[in-house]
Amino acid sequence: MTQLQARGLVKSYGPTPALRGITLDIDEGEIVAVTGPSGCGKSTLLHCLAGILRPDAGEVSWRGHRLDTWSEAARSRLRRTDFGVLFQFGQLVPELTAAENVALPLLLAGTGRRAARTAALTWLERLSVAECADVRPGEMSGGQQQRCATARALVTEPRVLFADEPTGALDTLAGEQVLTQLVRLAREHRTSVVLVTHEPRIAAYADREVVLRDGVIDHTGLGLDAPLAGGSR
Amino acid sequence: MSLATLTRLALAGNRTDAARVALTALSALLATLAGLAALTVLAIEKPPGDAWQQSEQYVNALLREPGLRGGTAFALVMLTIPVLALAGQSARLGAPSRDRRLAALRLAGATPGQVTRVAMLETGLASLAGTVLGLACYLGGREVLHRPDDNGQLALPTDVLPPVPAMAAVVLGLPVLAAAATAVLLRAVATTPLGVVRRAGRTGSPQPWPALLIGLGVLAAAVVEPIQWALRGAALEWLALVAMVGIFGAVMGVIFGAGWIAHLAGRTLHRLARRPAALLAARRLTDDPWASSRTFAALLAALIIAGGAAAFRASFQLRAELEQEQNRLAGFGDDAFHDSFYLNTMDLVDLAVAAAVAIAAAGLLVTLVEGIVSRRRTYAALVATGVPRATIGTSIAWQVLAPVVPAVLIALGVGYAIGRLLTGDLSPGARRPDVPLEQLAVQGAGAIVAVLVVVGLGVLFLRSTTAVEELRAT
Repeated sequence: MTQLQARGLVKSYGPTPALRGITLDIDEGEIVAVTGPSGCGKSTLLHCLAGILRPDAGEVSWRGHRLDTWSEAARSRLRRTDFGVLFQFGQLVPELTAAENVALPLLLAGTGRRAARTAALTWLERLSVAECADVRPGEMSGGQQQRCATARALVTEPRVLFADEPTGALDTLAGEQVLTQLVRLAREHRTSVVLVTHEPRIAAYADREVVLRDGVIDHTGLGLDAPLAGGSR
Repeated sequence: MSLATLTRLALAGNRTDAARVALTALSALLATLAGLAALTVLAIEKPPGDAWQQSEQYVNALLREPGLRGGTAFALVMLTIPVLALAGQSARLGAPSRDRRLAALRLAGATPGQVTRVAMLETGLASLAGTVLGLACYLGGREVLHRPDDNGQLALPTDVLPPVPAMAAVVLGLPVLAAAATAVLLRAVATTPLGVVRRAGRTGSPQPWPALLIGLGVLAAAVVEPIQWALRGAALEWLALVAMVGIFGAVMGVIFGAGWIAHLAGRTLHRLARRPAALLAARRLTDDPWASSRTFAALLAALIIAGGAAAFRASFQLRAELEQEQNRLAGFGDDAFHDSFYLNTMDLVDLAVAAAVAIAAAGLLVTLVEGIVSRRRTYAALVATGVPRATIGTSIAWQVLAPVVPAVLIALGVGYAIGRLLTGDLSPGARRPDVPLEQLAVQGAGAIVAVLVVVGLGVLFLRSTTAVEELRAT
């Protein structure tokens, strides 16, 4: 079943075009890697799909509803409930502990502090960083921080996870660990994943690879079938 | 490195650097005006004749009476405290980008000394621009305001000019001081090619030791009157010095105490927080409680003076009421001579305090905006993940208001206590002035409203600093 649809997306930054008519469907539980050279519009596409940016033209639909016409508050609510967002770095609040960072989306949704902490601890355990629960981001390694951020993105059990270069700031081993766990958990929960990366090795974890060039889809192909792949194709 | 290269590097920078330079220049301008005004008051010549002879060419008694000019000049110099605090807060504006620029210079081969000189020159040149502009404003304003009234009297001492060496000392000395302060502040950090590293920070939770300073300050004020009575007015200069040191200690105690208050407020808020905004604020307060000391220093200093001024006004008010009562009893009626000099003087003091609060609020705005800008990536990421901007704005408001409300109350209380102890009783067993609750409430509420306005203005920057483009910047 198609969760997210983009039709003819166009987005420019001043005179510079970033997207020039992108059409794309994301199915339930599907892991899609968006790849391409720097400046081809990968992150802009992710931001439009996630409702962070409004496209200049075209449509983004979430389960049949036009997302791009919603108010910012409504799109923010959607990102808190049905979407999860993961960036390269700088996303954890430095003053909050790992558990508090993970619990934040639940607290925003009105969950009580105790219940939110319990859920946060469960997700930190799933991401193998339970020992960091009461540690602040500054005292964690890059890999631990990213796993903590992954736990925060998944704690609300979103329907779609948007990940923008999630391993870009990590070494190869730490990057592999984070991605392996992210993909495993996404498959377990039938979460769709839109994964922006410029590394073919990372794209290999996806079911489908969408290659952008100069703001348009250059070609689409199957992922290289990493060990954990196996969702709907 | 040649001076031209140093200057070129010192003036390089982005818009935030330009804003810092402009604010530094503005602070220097205001400090120059206050300094030159104080020098002008001191430059008024004592009229020939006995000690009671007044300079009749002025309307205001503060300028007319030679005995009051020292105090007037002192009050003007005191006005530079919030101005200098504003300069200090401006220095933090754009600190991350400046740090990156300095690190890039080191990477390009500059020595630590050269980097320090670049930073010193930036502050020095900005301050010099401000002091020169301040001198121009002073000289221009002097011409414009030199308008004798119908009696040939002047509102301001526009007929005298301070000695040129003294004026030069202000105009050239302030930039030198500012540059030296920059060098001292840079001693706390090491500028390496890989970034600016803080050598040592304050660690551990703040302790309530500032209460001791406050206590000593209040005690110093309390002993003045009994010792004065005991010594019957003999050789009291040292007593005045003790009182001044005590008051200074109390001011520092309140400022440092703001760190302890912030830490306590953060811990309490963390325990009680049910919503993310309060939780975020609580963690930030406990993480860097000293930020409150730095942020509110000028405001708290101004409020201590405000509290003291309220005590003096209450005392003068009582004195005036007793005089009127005596006049009535003596059959002179209500129209008898009534000396309102002291109450009029307190109006001026209140005006100065309001100006100090306004300057302190400007400094607070600079600090607040800088705090938001330096955390823009985190905020942008939070907004991108669905955290409403309102939540971040509320957390900022919590973070400012949770420590400032108790700190304002303590500052006013300490100021009032010191003022009340210094004014003493008019005579043993005499009526005591009522606590001017109304005035203190107006001062406290005014300060908190000023802080609220500043928070509101600061939060306006949230929209631009949480734009998704921030996530793309490195």
